[in-house]
Amino acid sequence: MTAPSYRATLVAYLGPQRGKVGVLAAVLVATTGLELVVPLFLQRFIDGALAGEAQSVLVAAGVAYLVAGVLKQLFNGVTTYLGADVGWTATNHLREDLAEHLLTLDMGFHTNTTPGEMIERIDGDVTAVAEFLSRFIVRLLGAGLLLIGVIAVAWWQSALMGIAYTAFVVVVLASVWRMRNMAVDAAEEERETSALLYGFIEERLAAIEDIRANGAGRSTMRRFVGVMRDYFFRTCAAWRKRTGFQVTINTIFWSGSALAVALGAWLVTTGRATVGTAYLLYQYVLLIQNPIEQVTRQFSELQKAAGGIVRIDRYRAIGSVLPPGGGRELPDGPLSVGFERVTFSYEEQRILHGLSFELAPGTVLGLLGRTGGGKTTTTRLISRLYDPAGGVVRLGGIDARQVSSASLRRRVGVVPQDVQLFRASVRDNLTFFDHARSDDELLDELDRAGLGSWVRELGLHTELGAGGSGLSAGESQLLAFARVFLQDPGIVILDEPASRLDPATELLVAEAAERLFANRTVVIIAHRLETVRMADEIMVIDGGRIAEHGPRDVLAETPGTRYANLLAAGGGALLEGVTG
Amino acid sequence: MTTDATSPSPTDGPAEATVSPEAPAGPGSARMGTFRIGCELLRYRPGVFGFCFVCWTLIHATPLVVGLLIGRIFGILADGAEAGFDSAGSPWTWVAAFGALAVARNGLIWIGDIRWIAYWNDQTLQLQRNLLRWLLEADGSRVLRSSPGEAISTFRDDVEDLLEYAENYVDGGGILVYAGGSIAVMASIDAQLTAVLLVPLVFVVGVAQALGPQIRQRRRVMRRATEEVTGLIGETFGAVQAVKLAAAEGPMLDEFARRNEVRRKAALRDTFLTEALLSINTNMSTLSVAIVLLAVAFGDGTSLSVGELVIFLTLLPRLTFYMAFVGHLIAQHRRTGVAFDRMRSLAVDADDLDLLDRTRVPLEGSLGELPPRHRPAGDRLDRLRVEGLSFTYPDDRSDRPTGIDDVSFELASGSFTVLAGRVGAGKTTILRALLGLVPADGDVWWNGRRIDDRASFLVPPRSAYTPQIPRLFSDTLSYNIALRGSDADGDLPVRDAARLAVLDDDLDRLAGGIETVVGARGVKLSGGQIQRSGVARMFATGADLLVFDDLSSALDLHTEAELWTRLFDHRDATCLVVSHRPAALERADQILVVDDGRIVDRGTLSELLQRSPVMVELWTAGRRLPGVEDPAGGG
Repeated sequence: MTAPSYRATLVAYLGPQRGKVGVLAAVLVATTGLELVVPLFLQRFIDGALAGEAQSVLVAAGVAYLVAGVLKQLFNGVTTYLGADVGWTATNHLREDLAEHLLTLDMGFHTNTTPGEMIERIDGDVTAVAEFLSRFIVRLLGAGLLLIGVIAVAWWQSALMGIAYTAFVVVVLASVWRMRNMAVDAAEEERETSALLYGFIEERLAAIEDIRANGAGRSTMRRFVGVMRDYFFRTCAAWRKRTGFQVTINTIFWSGSALAVALGAWLVTTGRATVGTAYLLYQYVLLIQNPIEQVTRQFSELQKAAGGIVRIDRYRAIGSVLPPGGGRELPDGPLSVGFERVTFSYEEQRILHGLSFELAPGTVLGLLGRTGGGKTTTTRLISRLYDPAGGVVRLGGIDARQVSSASLRRRVGVVPQDVQLFRASVRDNLTFFDHARSDDELLDELDRAGLGSWVRELGLHTELGAGGSGLSAGESQLLAFARVFLQDPGIVILDEPASRLDPATELLVAEAAERLFANRTVVIIAHRLETVRMADEIMVIDGGRIAEHGPRDVLAETPGTRYANLLAAGGGALLEGVTG
Repeated sequence: MTTDATSPSPTDGPAEATVSPEAPAGPGSARMGTFRIGCELLRYRPGVFGFCFVCWTLIHATPLVVGLLIGRIFGILADGAEAGFDSAGSPWTWVAAFGALAVARNGLIWIGDIRWIAYWNDQTLQLQRNLLRWLLEADGSRVLRSSPGEAISTFRDDVEDLLEYAENYVDGGGILVYAGGSIAVMASIDAQLTAVLLVPLVFVVGVAQALGPQIRQRRRVMRRATEEVTGLIGETFGAVQAVKLAAAEGPMLDEFARRNEVRRKAALRDTFLTEALLSINTNMSTLSVAIVLLAVAFGDGTSLSVGELVIFLTLLPRLTFYMAFVGHLIAQHRRTGVAFDRMRSLAVDADDLDLLDRTRVPLEGSLGELPPRHRPAGDRLDRLRVEGLSFTYPDDRSDRPTGIDDVSFELASGSFTVLAGRVGAGKTTILRALLGLVPADGDVWWNGRRIDDRASFLVPPRSAYTPQIPRLFSDTLSYNIALRGSDADGDLPVRDAARLAVLDDDLDRLAGGIETVVGARGVKLSGGQIQRSGVARMFATGADLLVFDDLSSALDLHTEAELWTRLFDHRDATCLVVSHRPAALERADQILVVDDGRIVDRGTLSELLQRSPVMVELWTAGRRLPGVEDPAGGG
């Protein structure tokens, strides 16, 4: 296991908050000073009382104890609050950076992870790191200062006390240091199991209806048992390690305080120190016990955080399989699409076998062919969700890999098969939470697309339910259309636009499509002939090869082409496609 | 625990509990107070809990003895320093006892912690199991009111809150022993002084109680902010392809940052309150020590010996800390109420005892076989009658989607019925209402027998369902199809179901065949494959009644044709289908025309085309599409 990058993480995320960190440090020093002073007043009081000193001396010691104690606590509160402030600010940045990084990863990565896992990574792991940043650092520094202070005061009191304390502190620190990484691996394992647990739950929550209506509740719960067992045993193992660590430190400490009492008793019985000093000796062990206990307790947090940082580092190290785009920009207006001997494989399975074709700007292409034949892959190469294994995909004459990803995303719009919606307002669903445009501007643009009245009727600020519930499938589709309109791309990819719509909505979609296709290059994945009605060209892909490509009307009128055969096979019954 | 029993706050009773208007407590469901909830929690594994309780009572009580020992040691030292150690005696026995006690206490901590860890994890899983089981298995309709990402926060954080509450009970006994014991010891030394010291101590408890409602409020705000953050992460990565394709990473991250900031502020307010509470407590400890010192100073130093003074000084800080814990216990008591309320609102109309069900989580041993489905004689579907089905979506979901009103129809065994209508007409809602997936009014009769709870009755082997977009799990395709896990009685073998659903060609192409792992929510499959997997899942149940929502949506012409053919060959089942496909409409024994949540007409296609304007519109809209009619003439 590589050492977690504590320092890099610290510098990167605490650096920008130098001011607050400075104040924090100053308050911390003041708190430590007061911590050291308070027991001295007790020493003074006991010795004074035993020596029968004047009442005013005792009263002064008592009052001083009270004032110093209250101030100390006040500063303590300020330290914690500032620490939390700095910690939250820092870890929010970390969360945002991590989310940004994970968003840049390719779809290959995302298909293998669940949203629940992402929540655990971006929130769970980072929260562990937040504890580390907001508390551990403050406590560690505080404890360090206090240790130095206690040793200094001890030497000032007597050389013997100084030696004893120095030796003790060395033993404590050496033990803490030796064991510091003890449970890191276990903690990481614990987090991983918990990601699996919550990933499982999240997927099941998303599928409540499927599970219930198909009577799979009980079997799902049995499946859950396996996940729970795994979680239980691995988590317990990790916790045991951490407890072992803490108990060891505690034992050292309590032995230390027993030794301090013994040392004090010896000093007093041999007449080398006053009773007040013996009490101070004991008090100082208690004084450092608290912060060291806290630090060791925080060490569990540190170990959790280390597990978190290790994982965060690992996720950061994952690069997108897709190299970032080049620096070139796609030109305005409709774009040409060119495939040059393009091959593609997915999990050792050849999907495309050397596809070559050329689409002039503004062409509307209907892609036909059987499911699994390579149509979806072809469009994903155009939208650069994948890169080809061999050959070149050109957009507007430029190799897609050389186009900056911002430009590519802006200029290639996709209406996917499965419209993904958020639990948010219609507006947020349309703009992906972009607040740059006002409602009126949005509606104006949608009016131009002919969808304004539809969106008005729906209500821009209507909240959609989880997974877009509250919209019918057809409405989801229209919403996806509106999204692409707002994006105003030069290439549009439509994956089965007619799916799941009833004919009345299909007409509404068709009207919107006609507007969208104007002055754009369009690739439609069409499983049904009726979807192809607006295509200029038809391409049939079968088994990863182009079986046929040409102008639609030519293909339709040439007997023996697949397209003509399809039409003929359907004939008047084309719409039903089932009688055969 | 006395504190809990004697000071239940008036806010914890049923009167205060927030019952959301659309989720009335079911009949006979008793809402427990927080104290009852605590007791139920402790009864999960009373043996282990009791063991932990004894351990931790000893651990917390030992410092009382330590205080007495330290007082004794310093008393001897003070006397010895004044009068010589021959008369004062030797401190060494007491020092040795102190050392031994320290070691023993650490041993106890080790033992107590290990046991408690196992208990904690076990009970965490118990509560999570209960929640998930209620959502997946309980009778009645279950609708998730928040996104799965948000619901996760209840599974994780609210459950943890309850566990922390249980932990307080483990600590509580020892803390009370210490508090009672140390007050008794101090009172035996100086009753008057001890009485004075009780003032700040009681104040500590009072402050914690007074700040309780605020803590509860802030905690709620904090949780909501956390939900907003985790919810957005879930939504973003659930829709990551759409986000990437729309190049919307920027705005999504901005929104994420905005919600993070809200959460940070909420967290800081929480921290502030907690720190204020802690400061008050610690200062009360300082104050009480100062009172003792001043009492000694003004009492000419004679009222307390040094040994007695040291006992006070040693016992007081921990006593204040423990009094604060008592206050914290009260605060936690309130917080637990918040957490449990949220579990209640996730598991709508669950009885509290369901959520606290004490059945052990099977952490070891074999699970045995799934019991076979029980099917009484004469249960096979002969006739299904639906009468007066009505459902309105709650107001908080705005005016969409369309509710349904007074829907009635009949299905004969082996018949094929199509629901047709415009987008938003309420077709899907009719299916969901029939199956009890939403809590609709109205009655359904199965072979003349009225169904009490449709959700638990209309399941395999009686009925099965494929929604528009079936949800798959990150597991193998075969698991996704045979959700029951094994070929139970009456189920179709997985491969047969896959073949019926026209998945056989895909199985040949997929690298792992039927054992291919399909990725999160089935993302490794195409839309058509996901849909056909859902259909296979439905076929695999071998149910009498197949209910499916727009079966043909993501399929190509050939595949769809094949699917319909195989379906009609498999016509021992009764089918209720949402579709606008001419093939379905033409083959239908009856078509129910749905408009604006009502069934406006019914009949065969040819009958309806003669008289139903809606049907005519739907039909001609489909027929009118160009690109079909004209080249067809050429072919």
